[in-house]
Amino acid sequence: MKRALGWLAAGAIALGFLLPLLWMLHASFRPEAEVFTGGFRGLFSFRGLGLDNYAAAWRRAALGIGLLNSILQVAGILGLGLLFNSMAAFALARFEFAGRRLLFGLVLVLIILPVEVLAVPLLLTVRDLGLTGGYGRTLAALVLPFAVKAFNVYFLRQHFLALPRDLEEAAVVDGAGPFRIYWSVALPAIRPALATVLVLDVLTHWSDFIWPLIVCTRAETRTVQLALANLFTQPPIQWGDILACAVLVTLPVLLVFRLAQRHVVASDLGAGIK
Amino acid sequence: MNRAGGATRATPWLFLAPALLLLGAFALVPMLRAARWSFTGADLLDVGGARWIGAANYSDLLTDPRFRRAFFNTALFALMVVPAQAALAFFLALWVNRPEPHWRWLRTVFFVPVVVSMPVLAVLWTMLYQPLRGDQMGLVNALVAGLGLPAQDWLQNPRLALPAIAFMSVWQGVGFQMMIFLAGLQNLSKDQLEAAQIDGANAGQRLRHVIVPAMRSSIAFVLTATLILSFRLFVQPYLMTRGGPADSTVSLIQFVYETTFLGRELGRACAGAMLFLLLVAGLTLLQRLFAREVRS
Amino acid sequence: MVGNGQRLRLRSDFPSVRRAWQWTLAALLATGAAGCAPERPAAPHVVRVWCQQGQEAENRAMREMAAAFNAAHAAQNLAAQITFFPDFQYTEKVSIAAAARDLPDVLALDGPTVAQFVDAGLLRPIADWFSEEELADFAPTIRAQGTLGGELYALGAFDSAMVLYYDREMLARAGVEPPAADRGWTWDEFLAACARLKAAGFDPVSLHMDESGDEWYTYAFSPVIWSAGGRLISADGRQVEGVLNAPENAATLRRWREVFARDFAARAPIDPNPFGHGQTAMDWSGHWMVRAHLAAKGARLGAMPLPRMGPETVAACGSWCWGLTQGARDPDGAALWLRWVTDPVHGIQPIVAANGAVPARASAYPLFPEYADPPFRLFRELQETAGRPRPRTPVYPTLTQHFAAALRDVARGADPQESLDRAAAQVQRRIDRQRGAP
Repeated sequence: MKRALGWLAAGAIALGFLLPLLWMLHASFRPEAEVFTGGFRGLFSFRGLGLDNYAAAWRRAALGIGLLNSILQVAGILGLGLLFNSMAAFALARFEFAGRRLLFGLVLVLIILPVEVLAVPLLLTVRDLGLTGGYGRTLAALVLPFAVKAFNVYFLRQHFLALPRDLEEAAVVDGAGPFRIYWSVALPAIRPALATVLVLDVLTHWSDFIWPLIVCTRAETRTVQLALANLFTQPPIQWGDILACAVLVTLPVLLVFRLAQRHVVASDLGAGIK
Repeated sequence: MNRAGGATRATPWLFLAPALLLLGAFALVPMLRAARWSFTGADLLDVGGARWIGAANYSDLLTDPRFRRAFFNTALFALMVVPAQAALAFFLALWVNRPEPHWRWLRTVFFVPVVVSMPVLAVLWTMLYQPLRGDQMGLVNALVAGLGLPAQDWLQNPRLALPAIAFMSVWQGVGFQMMIFLAGLQNLSKDQLEAAQIDGANAGQRLRHVIVPAMRSSIAFVLTATLILSFRLFVQPYLMTRGGPADSTVSLIQFVYETTFLGRELGRACAGAMLFLLLVAGLTLLQRLFAREVRS
Repeated sequence: MVGNGQRLRLRSDFPSVRRAWQWTLAALLATGAAGCAPERPAAPHVVRVWCQQGQEAENRAMREMAAAFNAAHAAQNLAAQITFFPDFQYTEKVSIAAAARDLPDVLALDGPTVAQFVDAGLLRPIADWFSEEELADFAPTIRAQGTLGGELYALGAFDSAMVLYYDREMLARAGVEPPAADRGWTWDEFLAACARLKAAGFDPVSLHMDESGDEWYTYAFSPVIWSAGGRLISADGRQVEGVLNAPENAATLRRWREVFARDFAARAPIDPNPFGHGQTAMDWSGHWMVRAHLAAKGARLGAMPLPRMGPETVAACGSWCWGLTQGARDPDGAALWLRWVTDPVHGIQPIVAANGAVPARASAYPLFPEYADPPFRLFRELQETAGRPRPRTPVYPTLTQHFAAALRDVARGADPQESLDRAAAQVQRRIDRQRGAP
């Protein structure tokens, strides 16, 4: 009895918490004119539900190219970031060299640096490096500045430090060089931490807004969030289309999260913090 | 690692090179350039023609009512979001911290808004906050009306707009902080809790004397992270209110953005950015000092 | 050769170095051009064109126009290449592109933003590519919006017009008499008409307060200030404090606000086109809706000038126009595009057929028989007799940002004087900083 009540309470709270998203999903199928009708009772109206909004949103927001751009952007950041961040973290964790403490201090400082506020100096720097204008350049400008992240370096370093040295020493005896040790021994050993970093990066960069807003000037370089913002601000405002677009923008990242969920154990998140 | 591993003096630098190169080019260089531009009258469309004007940008900003307002709004937003989000996340973590696997779904529920990106949610909540007009209304007003309270024009009322944005922001981010607390709770040894239980401590005492002290580092992390994140407020006012009504939601980052792209005043925007960075650095330092104080 | 120059410029790191490169290249090109035979290279000479993404019909018309241009200039080996930019903050995007040194040869600009690009030295004068008679053929409003410091920098194919649309049947049912032809209401007559409509159970008028961009507010409601004799900025462009926030303007906005205070118009509408959907009896709108409204209402559609606060009717005007960039690789080729899109047959006819705007040249009217009758005739009359462009000042983006915010706030019930004071202070500070800078 008590247990059933507990379940009931939990279910009610969960439902309340997710109500905005449930409303979004439901309203995205409703006819344009009825998105806001009926107030709370509108949630239980199933009249005229259809996919019209989705078709219109896909076409009007050019979501096909938007999704492609966002996927390329996030994939680029993940790929380069995984390699570069873990290499730097490995060096900071495993090598003794002059300037190590200083570098580590720098990493700690850069963690708190809010990138958004430096977006414009960054734009001008990116311009001077020749990364503005065409499609490929814009993509590079989306990826390169955010591939290396101080927090990820720090986080992975903590995990490298926590590894027992026996494995690596065994590899040294086998004659493995430092890169072999990093690649075949240390990296696989911190796989859960890597997964955590990947998921956080997907969440962060799928929702990137201010930097793409500045750097993606042309329609064909737009990411999904810009496509949505465009639909949201360009007349005629069609609420149904906007909602359908919001759902479509959300689905891929939800899917990634669902697939990655079991690799990301909450305790890994904790390990990096102390 | 020693030389037996085949490492030479250059090896660590080879490992560090790509990261250092990118961080240097895309973090340090922009920061240094921003610092330099902040003392010039640089125009976005003619950066080369900038003249050195000393601290004029800074003194102008400090007396500019809009900049002050942006500062005040951002601080107020942080003041609303940080305690609310941290406290809510803490209690959610305590609540969902159950060993049985069939309770796992509850964590996922609270994490879902974190996964849905902020621009999507800003657009969504603009619709949820829609005022009442005939039988057309947003969900929030539908609920408010259902409770017998007067419907509000949430985003158009200077007193309500920032709290409304803060509310949706807490809802969006609470799942992330909850996960961090959850990690802390799971590292808490069972013995400690059980010992406390045997001692006959009630829930409140357990919380105060066992759980909170043991979670100190998680709490410190969540407070710092939430503070810094809340200072980055941009997407919500940019998409939901455009800084209005009556400047009540204009944020620091938004101020920097509009100064650059509408006003073209790059130098002044950089001065704003530098003040922002100083502020964030100062807050972080303060938090560190405070945390050390508590620990000792 | 020219193309390489462009790429080199992008690569060099410092502005001064880049400028040195530019001069060297220009010198080299000049000597090279003098030495070479004036033959066009075999590869097509591309004119890079940027324009804002409009409605689908407009985009299609633009593409067809480019195809026709390319076909007509194939012999000269000249081709236009259009890039569409999302309308969502187009002007910000152009600023960003300019900062990134990524501007095309020709670009579309919204009329009031021309000044800031001229001020930054990004546009070049264009009068030399048109004859005296051709220039005189353009509407004075269109020439005015593109002229700064006595030089012409931009010309457009069309102008805009704002009117108050009304549904004859709804007005008749509420017992409201529309004003005599072509003569708008005074503000009091307008409010009285709204009151009668409301009493008859109609939503009186829509003012589109859901627009997310700033420009709508400045564009649509500056005429209210102007018709009362007010200004947004002094004639020399140096004074906003005491001008924008003059007590007379605050009084004007206090009367303007009654439309919202008495619930004649929605402060936060959900439907973008309530008039077309039969929800409201009148629509504060413009030429861009005329075809949709005619289709929806037929003979029930009426149009009159916007209500006026003073003796004089003032109509908003100004629209998208074309400018030639300083960095254009082939200014003569680019100017050919400019001439093409403002040509009555090649440019004005297709685009105006698509967007219903007011033709920018007198000689184009014979191509549009509908302009003999209302409501189109009213557009032309307003443009010719009452059209006034928005202020031409390099700080226009700041002016429109703060003025629009003030209008939104006043509509929500904020004090007009306080709102205008805040806006004026911000714009004045911006002007003073610009003037104080060496």
